[in-house]
Amino acid sequence: MPAAADAPGLTFRRLDRAAFAAALLDRLRAAGVASGLSSAEAFAEGLRVVRPDSTSRLYWTARITLVRRHTDLAAFDAVFDAVFANAVMPLDPHARRRGVTGGSEDDAFAPARSATRDAPTDEGLPWVTLPRITASTDTATTEATWSLPERLPSRLTGLDEIPFDELDSQQLAALGDWFATAMQQWPTRRSRRSATHPHGSRIALRETVARSRRSGWEPLELVRSRPLRKPRRVVMLCDVSQSMQAYATTYLHLMRATTLATDAEVFAFSTTLTRLTSVLAHRSAETAIAHATDQVTDRFGGTRIADSLRTLLRSHHGGAVRGAIVVIASDGWDSDDPEALARAMEQLRRRAYRVVWLNPRVAAPDFQPLVGSLAAALPYCDELLSAHDVPALAEVVAAVGRWR
Amino acid sequence: MADEPYFTDAADVRSRLDRVDYLVDEGMATALFLALTLGQPLLLEGEPGVGKTTAAKALARTLDAPLVRLQCYEGLAVSEALYEWNYQRQLLAIRLAESRHERLSEADLFTEEFLQERPILRCVRHRGPTPPVLLIDEIDRADDEFEALLLEFLGEASVTVPELGTFVAEQPPIVVLTSNRSRDLHDAMRRRCLYHWIDFPAPDRAAEILRRSVPAASESLIQSATQFVGRARDLDLDKAPGMAEAIDWVAALSALGAPELASEQVRLTLGTLAKTPTDRDLLAEALERA
Repeated sequence: MPAAADAPGLTFRRLDRAAFAAALLDRLRAAGVASGLSSAEAFAEGLRVVRPDSTSRLYWTARITLVRRHTDLAAFDAVFDAVFANAVMPLDPHARRRGVTGGSEDDAFAPARSATRDAPTDEGLPWVTLPRITASTDTATTEATWSLPERLPSRLTGLDEIPFDELDSQQLAALGDWFATAMQQWPTRRSRRSATHPHGSRIALRETVARSRRSGWEPLELVRSRPLRKPRRVVMLCDVSQSMQAYATTYLHLMRATTLATDAEVFAFSTTLTRLTSVLAHRSAETAIAHATDQVTDRFGGTRIADSLRTLLRSHHGGAVRGAIVVIASDGWDSDDPEALARAMEQLRRRAYRVVWLNPRVAAPDFQPLVGSLAAALPYCDELLSAHDVPALAEVVAAVGRWR
Repeated sequence: MADEPYFTDAADVRSRLDRVDYLVDEGMATALFLALTLGQPLLLEGEPGVGKTTAAKALARTLDAPLVRLQCYEGLAVSEALYEWNYQRQLLAIRLAESRHERLSEADLFTEEFLQERPILRCVRHRGPTPPVLLIDEIDRADDEFEALLLEFLGEASVTVPELGTFVAEQPPIVVLTSNRSRDLHDAMRRRCLYHWIDFPAPDRAAEILRRSVPAASESLIQSATQFVGRARDLDLDKAPGMAEAIDWVAALSALGAPELASEQVRLTLGTLAKTPTDRDLLAEALERA
């Protein structure tokens, strides 16, 4: 609860509740709190029934009606504090004639998440030296014409020899699209929903009775059903530390393709873990990658794999790992204790369906998994693959697809 | 909505829930008061074991209303949550009509006689002085399809059975949804609910809750247990103990007759607090230091 909520006083006598609710909603939305008109309506109605005679009452009434998610609470508290902490908001009818949002402008310093959305994105990524992004992906997607059964569509065959850090944005987009398509071949799981199927093992009573309508309610034809199969969830963790700089952008594109193509949770980590699932789901690839870059504050620092894994397993996203295909992309250079990583991996292995470790250094001819952390993690991985260029990536897709 | 308001204000919610031994802070009291007064569903989120489910149970007890619980799981569908036709009876009715040489029309087969109520329809069709409290527990365990299914009910307190028509609740049921945030809920669903995030209670309130839940425990035991659980939550545990675990622990200690935390029995009861072997070792270590 912010400091303002403890302050006494602040009464609302003749208050235009609708205008008040709309004004507060406006400020909240400017600060990036996702609340809509229906919540403002609930707030206005709440003001009527609660009759807030203390700031704390007002605080709870506003918070419960206007905030809909836990992540918005901090922004809400900031706006509320800014408006009411030293509150003499001109709310009397005279003051309102000068405009509803008149009050103090103190909340200009409240953290405004929406502001980042306007950040210029045409500079490419601020932290990778890549060719300037010129074309949008949308045009790239419409141009895409390839046939499904091919593992590597013709547009990608030219990319065989190019290292990941030299791909331009169009090639990256094509790679992402191909990855999303190829992932359709990945393992599925039996879901609890069922669909009619001639070879089903159960009799679908509802459909059978409906069908019998045609034959004078005589169930001549038995309709059968069987469980639907759904794609397994994919949890992808990508190392964005200094040593992985060359691959980070490509992996971000792959993570974006994954979130769009299937049920997935994606995270970036170096010293801390950042969830990117919601930002990467943006329709435009450039915007998505730019937002993701903004979110990851500790990029190209050190690496703490064990700590990041444990953070994931203990957070409320830890359940997402259950029965999922976990893909970890990292070179295994970890500043945490290898034993800690082994413990985290053991726990991860128990929850996950399969664990795949992608390490670009595996491709080197004289590679040996001698790095302490990688050696500790390997016993808990189903596959260690290289994924340093496009053909290697195709191999990853095929290897995971074999577990169907 | 009932003619009489359920509660006069948030303080009333607090004192009446107090009487059924469920202690709430101002935020929770306001949330429940607003949900009931505005007739909107209430979405409760918070760490496991902070009393989300208990809130609905306590509310039902306070209002003397029946509690209908719907445990969510993946694949929950119309036939388990809303209604189902009794196909066996329908088939029997068809045979019976045949033997009597009667003609059956579709309207004869899809009547309320053949309708089986599931929790949500039961709430909508409930007749009685107080509407039921519907607890939709762990909604994050259900899938998107089920959330979409709930929208009509959450928005209009009605259920549409295509063959029969729309049932509208006489008095809208009191709906409490809980979620552990293991999956992001859809915005359309959040929009239809009031939202409250339950924090882990402050030490003095936690002690008060323990006093109510385990009346047999001694005061010194409760004080030291509250302190220890508070410190345990700062430890690097796989699963930080919640209020539910703390209650179990104090109940276990008091059942074994342990007068204080220093005694031998405490080690044996750590299973109520720690749910993994590593957590148990860490807690045992912390106990020794205490």
